[in-house]
This record gives sequence, C-alpha cells and structure tokens, in this order.
Amino acid sequence: MVKLDFIPHDQKTTQHMLEVIGLKSIEDLFQDIPKDLMLKRLNLRPGIPESDLLNELKDISKKSKIYNNAFLGAGCYYHYIPSLVDFIISRSEFYTSYTPYQAEASQGFLQAIYEYQTIITQLTKMDVANASMYDGSTALAEAALMATNITRKNKILMIEGIHPEYIEVVKTYCWGQNIEYDIIQLDSLDSKLDEEYAAVIIQSPNFFGEIEDLENIVNSVNKKYPKCLIIQVMTDPTCLGILTPPGELNIDIFVAEGQSFGISPSFGGPGLGILATKKEYLRKIPGRLVGKTKELNGEKEGFILTLQAREQHIRREKASSNICTNQALCSLAALVFLLCMGRAGLKNLASQNLQKANYTKKRLSKIPGYKILNSKPTYNEFLVVCPNLDLLIKYCEESNLLPPLKISKYIAHMDNIALVCITEMNSRKSIDLFLQAAKMSSSEGK
Amino acid sequence: MKPDTELIFSKKSNISSNNYIPQLDIEEVEDIDTILPKKFQRADLNLPDIPEVDIVRHYVKLSKKNYGVDTGIYPLGSCTMKYNPKINELISRLPYFSELHPLQESNKGALKLIFELSNCLSEITGMEGFTLQPAAGAHGELTGLLIMKKYFEHNKIVKKKIIVPDSAHGTNPASAKMAGFSIIELRSNESGEVPLDQLEFAMQEKDVAGIMLTNPNTLGVFDRNINEITKIVHDNGGLCYYDGANLNPMLGICRPKDMGFDIVHLNLHKTFSTPHGGGGPGSGPVGVVEKLIPYLPEPCLITDDKGINCREKSPTSIGKVRVFWGNFGVLVKAYAYILSLGAEGLKRVGQFAVLNANYLRTKLQEKYHLPYDRICQHEFVLSNKNLPNGITTEDIAKRILDYGAYAPTIYFPLIVNGAMMFEPTETESKDSLDAYVDILIRIYEEATNNPELLKSAPHNTPVGRLDAVNAARNPILHD
Amino acid sequence: MDYKFPKELKYTVTHEWVLLEDDIAIVGITDFAQHQLGDIVYVEMPDIGMVFERESNAGEIESVKAVGEIIMPLSGEIIETNSKVIDNPELVNSSPFEEGWIMKIKISHKDEVENLITVEEYIKVVESEEL
Repeated sequence: MVKLDFIPHDQKTTQHMLEVIGLKSIEDLFQDIPKDLMLKRLNLRPGIPESDLLNELKDISKKSKIYNNAFLGAGCYYHYIPSLVDFIISRSEFYTSYTPYQAEASQGFLQAIYEYQTIITQLTKMDVANASMYDGSTALAEAALMATNITRKNKILMIEGIHPEYIEVVKTYCWGQNIEYDIIQLDSLDSKLDEEYAAVIIQSPNFFGEIEDLENIVNSVNKKYPKCLIIQVMTDPTCLGILTPPGELNIDIFVAEGQSFGISPSFGGPGLGILATKKEYLRKIPGRLVGKTKELNGEKEGFILTLQAREQHIRREKASSNICTNQALCSLAALVFLLCMGRAGLKNLASQNLQKANYTKKRLSKIPGYKILNSKPTYNEFLVVCPNLDLLIKYCEESNLLPPLKISKYIAHMDNIALVCITEMNSRKSIDLFLQAAKMSSSEGK
Repeated sequence: MKPDTELIFSKKSNISSNNYIPQLDIEEVEDIDTILPKKFQRADLNLPDIPEVDIVRHYVKLSKKNYGVDTGIYPLGSCTMKYNPKINELISRLPYFSELHPLQESNKGALKLIFELSNCLSEITGMEGFTLQPAAGAHGELTGLLIMKKYFEHNKIVKKKIIVPDSAHGTNPASAKMAGFSIIELRSNESGEVPLDQLEFAMQEKDVAGIMLTNPNTLGVFDRNINEITKIVHDNGGLCYYDGANLNPMLGICRPKDMGFDIVHLNLHKTFSTPHGGGGPGSGPVGVVEKLIPYLPEPCLITDDKGINCREKSPTSIGKVRVFWGNFGVLVKAYAYILSLGAEGLKRVGQFAVLNANYLRTKLQEKYHLPYDRICQHEFVLSNKNLPNGITTEDIAKRILDYGAYAPTIYFPLIVNGAMMFEPTETESKDSLDAYVDILIRIYEEATNNPELLKSAPHNTPVGRLDAVNAARNPILHD
Repeated sequence: MDYKFPKELKYTVTHEWVLLEDDIAIVGITDFAQHQLGDIVYVEMPDIGMVFERESNAGEIESVKAVGEIIMPLSGEIIETNSKVIDNPELVNSSPFEEGWIMKIKISHKDEVENLITVEEYIKVVESEEL
C-alpha cells in the first residue's frame, strides 16, 4: 500500500542500515526509553491518500462562508493581492529554506530581507526596520518592552483607541515582566503624563478609524518629557500611501500589522509585524536584522544576519527578546506587494480607500437613524450608530456581504454601533447593496 | 559589468506600468483635499515603480542563490528540516480557508479544523487542553511559562526561578526572562543527562517554579532518568515544561505527558512539516494538563458537558499572546499532514528519523569525534576534537557549501566544543545520506592534506566567506 | 595560551582590570576577556554622572558571537568614558590595558579596594576557567 509519509526506505534498506549501526531491529533504537513510557499505538485514524485528503479538507472548509464583498476590518483587511506575490513566495528555494545562518548559501533570501528592510524605511521614513515580528500586536508588545529597556523606566501609557486585542496582548507581555501600564483618553494626556513613563503608545488611524493629530501630540509630549518615547501603531499601513509617515512626525518606534501588504486574511494568521525605529535605538531592536557587508578576502558585496549578539541564541537570558522564527516569508510577500504597487499604485490604493469610505459614510449618514460618530478625519474605517444593527447584519448576510463589526464585541454597552470598513475591493455595486441593506433595516427597525 | 548584488531598487523606471487594483467605479467621490486636511497628507512617496517582468526576473534570480530543503539535504540540528508536502500548500490556499476573516460569525469550518487539530495534538502528546494561538516556538515557550506563572499566582504561591540545563536552546532562558523568571542552570553530566542530585538540590529552594527540558535533548540523547526528573520536580511543588522542538523522534513512540510533563509547546514548522519559510511563519501550539486549562490564552475551544464552547473572558486566563486565533494558515498545513500520515505514518516518522540519525552518526564517527558515544535519537553532535591543522568547525561548515550541500547547526549546544549538530530527518533516503557522508569524509581528508582549501572556503557559492565583524561594527541595514 | 597580565594592575574575578590613582579608578577588561569575546563590535558605555554600586552592571561589550557585561569593580560615579573605543571598538582587542580602557570612576567607598584581587590571584582564576 502506498503511504503518504514521504519516508523513502524499503524493508531491505532498513535492514542494511540497522546492520551498519549494529542493531537488530527498529525497536532497539529506543532502548534508552523506559519501557513503561513506550506507546502501544496512537489513537488516530489511518493515513489517507492525497486525493482523499484534498476532498476531506475541502468539505471542512465549506462549513464556513465566504462573501462577495467585505465591510469588516478591525485588524484584518481585504486588499487586492497581485498574483505575482504568491508566485514569488511559492518558489520553494525561498519557502523551504530556514533562517540564513550560512549566509553564503542564502544570499537570495538575505538580499530579499535587506530589500524589505529598505522598502519599509522608504515607506515610513524611519531610520531602520527589522526583518519582522510575528504580527502587529506582538510587535507592539515588544516595542513597549524595548522602550522600558531603553529608558530604564517601568511604566507605559496607552491612549484609548488602540485595537482592544492589541491592548490585551500588551497587557499580557507587561504582566510577564512586571511592567505597569495605564490606559487613558487622549484629552487626559497632558494631565496624566509624567516622568515615570517609558513611552506613550498611540494608534493612528485608530481602532475607530480616526486619524490623530500626531504632530501636535508628539510636540507636546517632547516639550515636557523629552525622554519619553512615542510609539505609533497602525493596523492597516496601506494608509501610508497618503498619510504623513512616522519618520516625519518624530515617532520613536513605529509598529504595524503588515497583513494588508499582500497577505491573505486566512482567518487572522499568519500576519506580519512591522517594526521600525530611530537609529539611536538600533542596538535595542528585537528580532533579526540583515546587514550588507563585503567578503573577507574579496571585493564582492554580500548580505548577512547581523547584530546577532542581541538575540536569544547568543544572549540567552539577557536577550532583548526571545524571538527566533519570525515571519520571513510574509515579509517577502509584503516586499513584492509594495514593489507591485509602486509609488503610483500605493497612492492610488490609499486614495480609493479614503474616497470610497468617505462616499459610503456620507450616504449612510443621510439614511434615517444612522449617525456617524467620528469627529476626526477617517481613513478606511468609521464608526456609525445604527437603528437596528442586528437587522443590518442579517440583510448584509442575505446579500452575501460580510457585515461590519458590532463594537459591543469589544466594548460593552455600545450596542447598535458598527465599525464599517471600505477598501478598494468594495465595488460600487456592493456599496449600493450595503446602503440598501441599511435603508431596509432602518425603515423596518422603527 | 554590473555588480552581482544589484538591488531591486536599481530597476526602477520613470513610468508606472503596473495596474493591479480595481478601477475607481464611483464618479461622485470627493477630492482627497476635501476629505483630508493637507497637514495629514504626505508630501512625497519614495517607492520605486518597477515593471513586473523585472520584478519577476530579479526574484527568480535571487531564488537560485538560495538553498532550501527542495534543493538538497538540510541537516540543521533541532530544526527538523523535513520535506514540506506540496498538497498542504494547495490546501492552505483554498478560498474557504484563505479568505476567511477572523471575526466573521460564520466560521464553523475554521473552528472545526482548530478543534480537530487540537484533538490530534492532544492524542500525540497526551496533553488535555491546547491553545493554537502562539505564532512560533519561542512564542509558545513564553505562553507556557506565563501559564506556569499564573497557576502559581492564582494559588498564592511565590515562584521566581526556572531550572534549565546547560544544553537548552537559547530561547528557553530568554523566554523565562520575558515571563519574569530568573534561571538556575544545571550542568549536564558525562552522559549528557540531567544530574539528579543537582536537581534535588536546586529544588530545595522554595521559589523554584519548575524545569524546562527538551527530551531527547540538544545532544540528541534521551534522558533515561526522565521519570525521576519529573517526579523530583513534582514532589517539590514544581511544574515540568517540555520544549517540543525535538518531538520528531517521539512521534508515536513516547509522549511528553507520560514522561511527566505538565506543559508542552510544539513547533508545527518542525515536527509537523509546515515550511520554514526562510525563517517563518511558524506556529507554536501549547498543550497543558487538565489542571492548567483554566489558564490557557483566549479565545480557546473548551469541551464540557454542554459540548464545544468558545471561552473568551475567564479571569484565570493569562490573556492573549496574539490577536485572533493564531497562525491559521500554518495550522491548516499541519492538520493536513497529520491526516495524511495517520497513526501508523506518524509512528514511522519517529522510527525513521532515529534510524537515519543513527546511520549518519555511525558513519561519521569513523573520522569525527563524537563526545557522547551512545545511541542518539533524531540528532547527534560532533565536536572539533579530531580536526587537524587548526581547522575549525566553521571551516568545515563552509566547505560543505562548496559541495552543494548544507551545513549542520554549528557552535550549538554550547557544552560541546566546536559543536556540529546533525538532524537528517526521516525524509532523506539512504542514498542521500551516503552522499552526505562522502562529502564529510572527503572534507576531513582535505583538512588533513590541504587545509587551506577549507580555511578559505566557500569557493563555489555566490559570495565567499563574509565579514561578520564589519557588519556588526558598522551596520548597514538598508540602502 | 599566552595572555598578558600587567603586574601593576588590580583585577576582579569578572575579568576587569583596575588602575588606581588616588580616588579615581581607571577600568577596562583583561586580555583574557577580550580573547574570549572575539572581535569586539560595540561597547555600550554608562552615562557620565551615573552612580553604580560595586558588582552591578555598568555596561556591555558586544562581539560578533557574544556579549560580556562590564561589572563595576568598585562603587562610584562615572566621570569619564573612552570615546575612542566607541568609534574604534577593536582597540579593546588590540590594546585592552592601554588604549582600550573603558571608563574612569570616582570611588565612593575606598575600603572596597580590598576586594580587588592581585595579579597572581587573577592568573589562578584564568587557569581554572581554561580547564
């Protein structure tokens, strides 16, 4: 019987190999294991051929629904992924390799990571970017730890408007190392901030879709507490096609979720943690860094993992982070995405997000019972009070539209408030369907 | 002649010829300046515009300068570079998996897969509850240690230290520190195992939370006293953490729960064949015994008398270690692998991973020095003791690259001088192993008769040995 | 292995050397220490004016393959750090006792000098680590 276990030995070869080793049977290989620990058998089904496997997984997958268009964001976004992205990350010389410890045989991926680091600095205008973190939420947590390390202070200040799940992750990491945190409203920043805080963390565009006036905020923090670091986090960095980059706003550490750059939603993972910072904090950056160097005995340029002395395999318990495997292939996807978009493409994409969301916002607010809650400018998400949110969701489902988020999932007592997301992927037709669903749930909802 | 390492940015053109996103199909949209105050808009955007064909050629060229499992044997110790089944790539890309939003209500297919995978991993490890949220092994370690921390806090017991052997992966002490613990390091004995008397002594301190171990360890050796080790820790009020990086040889053979462990993390990108991706993405699920289930991160799927429930806000949970459910795209591949191998296939993985490693060990120890001369499990470690003419481990590794193969892990574990750690995995054929042995023997002869060849290696790779010192003194991290 | 052990200096078991000039101590790492670390790529100095206790961590020395801590041999205030070493960290490898000095401390507790070890005692420390 053909087995799909990829083990290429037959009986004869196995016997020969055992003889070379000097053993009689396979069981002898495990003679060091106490007899009472040897398993009789695993209580799992027998293996199946590839064709059956494919069918079975297809059946499981179809128990979920997929939609024609999505009106849901909240940390995971539907943007167009050029076919070139999958083509390149499917080259098995890339995806079946591991961390490029032997640099000379891994110049391909090392150069790609270097190019990724470069393109992120171009996009964000920060001084230096690392080779990736797991996702936006853990990148933010590690940025908070990095700030406490740099300033030698043990407290961080989070501004409301950060994605609720990101706040939860930061809390977990802070608890691990006894770092204190406070969460305040933006207007309390002036009164609450003091010299005890290592950093202020602010999300912009924030969880409710709003673009914060970072220039003013950064100035006012720097004037009173120049040693306090400012961390900006972003869940959809396509907005950088239009918005002022963090490097021009004097942001100390920038983190973002890079899933919008060419990575399919995939039920929320894998993602891509983007982390970029100022050059004076270079040696405190967690994660891998690729540097350019020359041959020892030649003139050729090459790429190599560098500053590894910060990392766990050398520093062990003194490492700034425990991160080892990161999201290398996802950073390659993001790189190819940004190259495909180019200057004109990314600007166009961001503009469409802004314009379509604004278009939807305007028309939605004209429907009786709907009220836009944002007072500041928004990018591709906005907050709206609905006359009957459950009914809106029902009609969306019926029109095969992925409904917006019920904010009450994260914030209690905010019933009937939805977080709507519109990207370049929302066609006019789908937006019209959505507005129609909104109208219907308005008149019936009364 | 253009330099070989021309970056993609040198290919930029002045025109934007790529056209990917939908055409704007709404005429009535407002002007950007009307929607967004000028002060929020960026003045310039310095991304290159590069024609698609140039992007393709550039990355195809780069891929040819990169060595993967699909190129040849990749015996990196403790990384388990086994063959990555292509069907799993296809399955993870099925639209009903890849297009799901983590917050959508109609997610039964995804949750079913998460549930079934958790059950399979429970059966394989013996653990009673799983979280699939951690994004990598080290992330799983942090999660597991935080669970330990929460358990003791909840029971109002003060614990500040974790015991770790000197052969541990670097991530172990780093993760312990991130979880707020300090380390007690035990010196492995001459057999490469944990010395029981030292362990007893260390556990006398009342604030030791427990031990972090991998078994078989990074020497490739199965610690024969494992039952006693976990008993000593438990008897003294501690918990036992299993680093699952070395689980491959134990598949279907032996289970961490039976060895006495309370918490386990797994590396799906090692043991369960999901691709390493050049350094990620991975996935590091964490399994626990029943009494630790209340502390698992959330959301998690719990089975009780009411059936399968999603637990989201329990006060005992350690909270979240990542948004949403985890690296779902990776989970799909691991699940497909487990289904395709089945009970018998998984056991064969364990058996043949060990067979291959011992075969390679037996052949190589004819020339190279093997400090722990006993049956190994999935990997073994050679030292630099026999190397002639001042040849270093690094020289050997670089010369292996000249023969079109990949080097083992070098200079780890730290307790072996000039360590070379080999893990062939079960998917290498005898011919592949024999060819690798030939290369290593030939290199040994070169070390004896022509050491300069090794000292100046590699010669046949796109670049020669690189200056790591300068890269660290004067880091150039982007163009 | 032949390491340099200047006789006029005092030492610590954590491989620092100390040159005493009244109430100022000049501190660096020993030849053995630089050899263990390998090619040094970066030295993280403490800030001028910072006050540290004896045996606390004042800074770090990074090489390609390792990181070593700079442990304060005596309690005191940092009054000067060697800027040449910041620009040229390789000085610590080539001249650990002279040009590669790291910092100058104003000693706060003179009696702590008794805790420093002699060159003979330090040679014994190195011999036991080499075994």
